[in-house]
Amino acid sequence: MAIDGLIILDTAGRPIIQSGFRSSSSAYPLLHIEALNNALSKASRPSDVDPVLYVSSLELDTPSACCHVKHGDLRLLCPVSGDVNPLYVFAFLQTFIDILREYFGQISAETLKDNFDVVYQLLEETLDASGHPSTTYPNALRDIVLPPSLLQKVLSVAGVTGLANQSSNQHPFASPIPWRKTGVRYNANEVFFDLLEELRAVVNKNGIAAMSQVWGTVHANSRLSGTPDLLLSFAGSQTLTDCSFHPCVRLQRWTRDKQLSFVPPDGQFTLMSYRYQPAGTHAIAIPFTVKASVVIDESKGTFDVIVTSRLTTRTIEKMTVDWFLGETASGASCAASNSSSWTFDSRARTLRWEMKNITPSSSFNLRGHFATTNKVPRPARGFRIKFEVLQHTFSSLKVDQLKLTGEMYKPYKGVRGRSMGDVEWRW
Amino acid sequence: MASFRAPPRKGENFELAADLNSEYREKRKDAIKRVIANMTVQKDVSGLFPDVLKNMQTDDLEQKKLVYLYLMNYAKTQPELVILAVNTFVKDTDDPNPLVRALAIRTMGCLRAEKIIDYLCDPLQKCLRDENPYVRKTAALCVAKLYDLKPELVIENGFLETLREMIVDSNPMVVANTVAALTDIHNSSVAAGSTEEIFVITNNVLSKLLIALNESSEWGRVAILNALARYNTESDQESEHICERVVPQFQHANASVVLAAVKVIMIHMRNVQSENLTKQLVRKMAPPLVTLLSNPPEVQWVALRNINLLLQKRPDILTNEMRVFFCKYNDPLYVKVEKLDIMVRLAGESNVDALLSELKEYASEVDVDFVRRSIKAIGQAAIKIDEAAERCVNVLLELIGTRVSYVVQEAVVVMKDIFRKYPSTYEGVIPTLCANLDELDEPEAKASLIWIIGEYANKIDNADELLGIFVDTFIEESYPVQLQTLTAVVKLFLRKPDSSQGLVQQVLNTATKDCDSPDVRDRAYIYWRLLSTDPGAAKTVVLAHRPPISLPRTTVSPALLEELIGEVSSLASVYHKPAETFVGRGRIGADTLPKTTGDVGDDKQATQKALQTVVAGQQAENLLNFDDPMADDQQPLGIAATAALAATPAAANLLAGTSSNPLDDLVSIFGNVSMGSVPAAAPQQNGLGSFGGLSFGATPMAPSAASPPPPAQPQQAQDDLLGLF
Repeated sequence: MAIDGLIILDTAGRPIIQSGFRSSSSAYPLLHIEALNNALSKASRPSDVDPVLYVSSLELDTPSACCHVKHGDLRLLCPVSGDVNPLYVFAFLQTFIDILREYFGQISAETLKDNFDVVYQLLEETLDASGHPSTTYPNALRDIVLPPSLLQKVLSVAGVTGLANQSSNQHPFASPIPWRKTGVRYNANEVFFDLLEELRAVVNKNGIAAMSQVWGTVHANSRLSGTPDLLLSFAGSQTLTDCSFHPCVRLQRWTRDKQLSFVPPDGQFTLMSYRYQPAGTHAIAIPFTVKASVVIDESKGTFDVIVTSRLTTRTIEKMTVDWFLGETASGASCAASNSSSWTFDSRARTLRWEMKNITPSSSFNLRGHFATTNKVPRPARGFRIKFEVLQHTFSSLKVDQLKLTGEMYKPYKGVRGRSMGDVEWRW
Repeated sequence: MASFRAPPRKGENFELAADLNSEYREKRKDAIKRVIANMTVQKDVSGLFPDVLKNMQTDDLEQKKLVYLYLMNYAKTQPELVILAVNTFVKDTDDPNPLVRALAIRTMGCLRAEKIIDYLCDPLQKCLRDENPYVRKTAALCVAKLYDLKPELVIENGFLETLREMIVDSNPMVVANTVAALTDIHNSSVAAGSTEEIFVITNNVLSKLLIALNESSEWGRVAILNALARYNTESDQESEHICERVVPQFQHANASVVLAAVKVIMIHMRNVQSENLTKQLVRKMAPPLVTLLSNPPEVQWVALRNINLLLQKRPDILTNEMRVFFCKYNDPLYVKVEKLDIMVRLAGESNVDALLSELKEYASEVDVDFVRRSIKAIGQAAIKIDEAAERCVNVLLELIGTRVSYVVQEAVVVMKDIFRKYPSTYEGVIPTLCANLDELDEPEAKASLIWIIGEYANKIDNADELLGIFVDTFIEESYPVQLQTLTAVVKLFLRKPDSSQGLVQQVLNTATKDCDSPDVRDRAYIYWRLLSTDPGAAKTVVLAHRPPISLPRTTVSPALLEELIGEVSSLASVYHKPAETFVGRGRIGADTLPKTTGDVGDDKQATQKALQTVVAGQQAENLLNFDDPMADDQQPLGIAATAALAATPAAANLLAGTSSNPLDDLVSIFGNVSMGSVPAAAPQQNGLGSFGGLSFGATPMAPSAASPPPPAQPQQAQDDLLGLF
């Protein structure tokens, strides 16, 4: 089982960068690019194209599959032949995207073209030509592929290549801990934890959640010298289920007393992810309510939507309400209350209503009408609502204590909580 | 500027060549980058080969990597030039910097040039025993690449033995990559037809793998887990031990590790004797599967396909988690379709209300395809859960009330299935269905409604009027509708002979004289003959009791399911088909390997077998949409297929007279004589034969009927049949 290679396509479906293919035929990658572009052009919605495409070919006697994902404007695809686990491929693609992000920040066709030499090196290191992903721990990778930094650019312009290379580790993979590099030194030792929770819910028209889940992740940014051994304990960890962890976490310790014991990688990483399951009841409180009345007439519809915050102390931020008005929607005109705004995207046929800040217990209102070109309007039966709440977690999970052993210093600790939501509210 | 080929005289490549030979190293490095950039956009820079090659010897690792990249790209087209680089490669494998050593050995493995390969063995030998683990693991993978190109070199140099020794390496990264390399070699040797087991996992190897498992990177873990899945345990205790050691992998952040672990557990759980442990394992499997659904849609889809398969084997895995599978309207269609299927699988008496209100929502969505599938799901729920059937019917009635054309049509089709499962229970809704007669324009919906009218002809006062509409337009209708009309009118006649004499005469006339389809004509002839010779027999045949339909627990045959469970997390489990049917054996690069001709036959046989399994599986799938267009297209297969299927409950449905496939109907006609027990090929043959004797005109299906061997001999059915005439 193996991944044959990786190809990155730009918006127009042209390859920007591709890894070396071991296949003897140069047509092989092209075949896959064509198959994907074909499938995309045929689909009514690009997002409905199956993520694993079957690519048959007359020239090459072995058929193969094409796994692809979209990232921003780019599409990354991995041709695979043989009975390969598609999840393996998608997991690799995701890892590779994360690495690119770590190296370049925002990824676009431009950044990739500007840094193609680095991208190539990354491809070489992360995906062995035999089709097995190899080095993907960012800590280890940074030892062997230098990120394009300003300093390096300055040095290379000045022609001082020797200096620029000094940071390259002469003894890679010498670290006894594969995810952490050796010899890390900081003047100020700090470690930050971000608890990020996302509510995913479907709410029925009577305001009852048909489905609600909270998925949480603990992101960490470790800037600690030496080989610190951390012990993190939570308050409220008993409500966490379905946990999965970064390989650095000692699982036995978690199973025994729900504490995270680990030697962190250097820099940013995702320590754990979990699902929050409140004890007893099924439902998780949605932090707002929506009251909507929609009247459908011939070739048009009128609506009146009220969003009310249920929170008493916190502000809901960046709320967007998206409403797909149907394939035949031609336009909308609305009145939005207090400093909220609305737009109609005529291509996506979606009405978007944005509220920057919803203070505790306040209400917002959007009323208006839309028109359709056919007789019976068929708008989506639900609003898709996204929002954020800072300094708040649905699970009320809190970091109780962080103990550091193995090093002498006392680190600075920071913990933040943030909530996001993606709620479908049916009217 | 001496070079083998005349360098270009002008243009970009000319400038690049000049820069590549510059005395300033910065300029040279920059030129290499530009060459690679041009290579990326498919410009031909092969002419610069000698100039680039000169820059290979450098202390600058980055520059070296770029030159290596260039070499890899053009080694195929310019093998005679690559030979010039060999010395540098070999020298680099002795470099004090392990990165350079690893880079050199890795690159040499990728150059698919015959000439280089002969120089590869000595450095590879050395690197396999390098002090640095990074070099060792790179070398291990290189052996697999070498095997792909020239297997005999690997065997001659004893690399296989070295690899086997490396499984007990102190470094888990080396262990994982060695396992991957050995697995690759094993697979390609098996694909090439070798019977020799290259990678045998012994007891000793097993314990080493279990230790390395927890220390490896995610990719290493997947490789090790796949190897564990292949291990044949010696005792039940060993199986239990493996399961216990693998279970913690469920908590890994990487989805592919989770699924690979699920696969190992599913395989080794077969041998676990302790019921308690099995229960525990199944319970522990649920959370990681649910967690997979928090991923992006692509991963969700793969996870859902696998969950769908796992549920067929172990329906108890996710009993309390149906809500997790509720669809959002912006989910991609491929995710929604899978979720729907799984929701129905998880439906039970306790959660059917939640399911129904969800399905009702979906049925009012925008996406027509999804709406239809949702309505189908309501029907499946009704058939699966007896207690909920009435609630399902009510939801369907509500949907019919919306008068949205495709909703109504799909609901009518689904109602027919419900009538099949619960005969004479929901007659009250028939008027509502008939009221929507004018709205129907799809053949399947029309055929379904006609079937209902025919079935309940004695309860519908104006059945003759309703059927008359279709008889009048008989010739314009599609064949499935014609067939159903024909049968329904005959049913009506048998129940109310007085009022519909004219109608049946009219339809038989039209069908036998003006119809293009031989199937319709033949069925009309059979009915005609039956009615004219012995109306009593016609009654027993046409109005016979039909076996009720049920929802199959699996969509694939049990044997295939077992095979696919072993393939969980692979492409096969996503397609729900054995690997042989969609992926050729061996990888593309392996085409250089000599293939022994004797094995091709074996391969073909295996594929043939697999395909047969799939066909059987697919037929079993056709439970609810029994108007399978495939079957219509492949008439000659009809009887053969049904004969093979006779044992399954789904087949009973196919054979039960509601089908548009006339052959199926034929079978059912004769099958009914022996009341529900479905006769296999033998009586069919006899039956058809006797028709022939009755001077029935064309019997086009006779040759095809002769093909299946008679597996069972329901003697009585045969006798009864003969007695009929």
